[in-house]
Amino acid sequence: MSKKQLDLIFPEDLVKQPVIWEMSKKFDVIFNIRRARVTETTGELVIQLDGDDETLDKAVEWLRKKGIKVKPVTHDVLE
Amino acid sequence: MEKLSGLKCKECGRKYQAKAIYVCEFCFGPLEVDYNYKQIKSHISKEKIKTGPNSQWRYWELLPVETESVISLGEGFTPLLPARNLGKLLGLEKLYIKNDAVNPTYSFKDRVVSVAITRAVELGFDTVACASTGNLACSVSAYGAYAGIKSFVFIPVDLEKGKIIGAGIYQPNLIGVEGNYDQVNRLCSEIADTFPWAFVNINIRPYYAEGSKTLGFEVAEQLGWKAPEHVVIPLASGCLMTKIYKGLKEFDMLGLIGKVRTKFSGAQAEGCSPIVTAYKENSEIVKPVKPNTIAKSLAIGNPADGYYAWKTMKETGGFAETVNDEEIIEGIRVLAETEGIFTETAGGVTVGVLKKLAQTGRIKKDELTVAFITGNGLKTQEAVSEAVSRPKKIAPTLKAFTEEFQRM
Repeated sequence: MSKKQLDLIFPEDLVKQPVIWEMSKKFDVIFNIRRARVTETTGELVIQLDGDDETLDKAVEWLRKKGIKVKPVTHDVLE
Repeated sequence: MEKLSGLKCKECGRKYQAKAIYVCEFCFGPLEVDYNYKQIKSHISKEKIKTGPNSQWRYWELLPVETESVISLGEGFTPLLPARNLGKLLGLEKLYIKNDAVNPTYSFKDRVVSVAITRAVELGFDTVACASTGNLACSVSAYGAYAGIKSFVFIPVDLEKGKIIGAGIYQPNLIGVEGNYDQVNRLCSEIADTFPWAFVNINIRPYYAEGSKTLGFEVAEQLGWKAPEHVVIPLASGCLMTKIYKGLKEFDMLGLIGKVRTKFSGAQAEGCSPIVTAYKENSEIVKPVKPNTIAKSLAIGNPADGYYAWKTMKETGGFAETVNDEEIIEGIRVLAETEGIFTETAGGVTVGVLKKLAQTGRIKKDELTVAFITGNGLKTQEAVSEAVSRPKKIAPTLKAFTEEFQRM
């Protein structure tokens, strides 16, 4: 099992959709929400995903294709 | 009692020991250094600071290291210059430039790296690392060499030759990563989790970031122990702004200066402005962007401290503004022409935004304002190659010069 600690930024049209539930139905990953913020136009979710490497990569790719920005919780480290 | 109290999560407030950790295991929020201010207050004084070294280490009591044998190349305590000519041009009567382009490797990064490597060595690390496209690479390489420890510097494989030379001369292990910025970011986070190294801006970040506070300390001391009324700061990760604010508030809390009422205004390039966009949209969520600007040292599309910089600007009544590439070059040229300071593109962004804020009355003409210049122009010469004076060719005779002189 591997884990990814991620920061997800949702576009306005996805804020009200149960995207994380949908992801967990499609892929065999365990999610654990640690923090969230929602504003009028966007949402941010800080989450841990556990699963095997291949499934995690597929789940992340699926989130990206949905229009969610998926970034590591460390943000950009290239300074 | 030690001056270091430990680390504390910026989001949920959970406390940790002062080790090489950087993310809260509960909420994944960033960790920052917490101090025993009561103990510090009993030791620190203006007199003691004044007799300290002419470097950022005169503020040792407020920096996150335990040793007094710090790894220093003399960074900090850089000039705070009254910018009379630029001020006149912009209609600002009390404008100052904090010129941090004159640090040992010519950028403010020397402050944070000096703190990071000192702390890394006292935590027992023998290898330091960073991921960088320029200033940080130079600084880690130089300080790693001086500290006599191994250094690994990760750069995008297609980085300009000038920047590779600037770091490579110190003989670090330079690793050129084939991939886009996102891939380099991801790889470096994975390496930091895997190798037992001090990655200055990842697992040592809570300590590293504290070095930027010294810019706030110095400005306050150089102004005669008071905070400025308005500051203009370039925003990359956003850390610089939040730490200058923290520094001023610490001085206030310790009774070294009066109440801080400084407005914090942020400057970004149009081609990479996630924090300014969040400010203008009044959204506390900073949306990542793909950078496309000549201001490479500010090109952080997903800034780690973006939210905290946003909060600082909102809390203090500051402003946020952008400039385009042409305005950046104009900013570099104007600063050189009026104040004799040659800054890199990030400084062009700061001066460009300073100009916009002054012209629109968001900086008042009598506000005591400080603009922070964080890097040296010699590092980004290609950006201004078209904006410099060209030599006028003449024959080696007095007659030829006299004729040319009459045309000037």
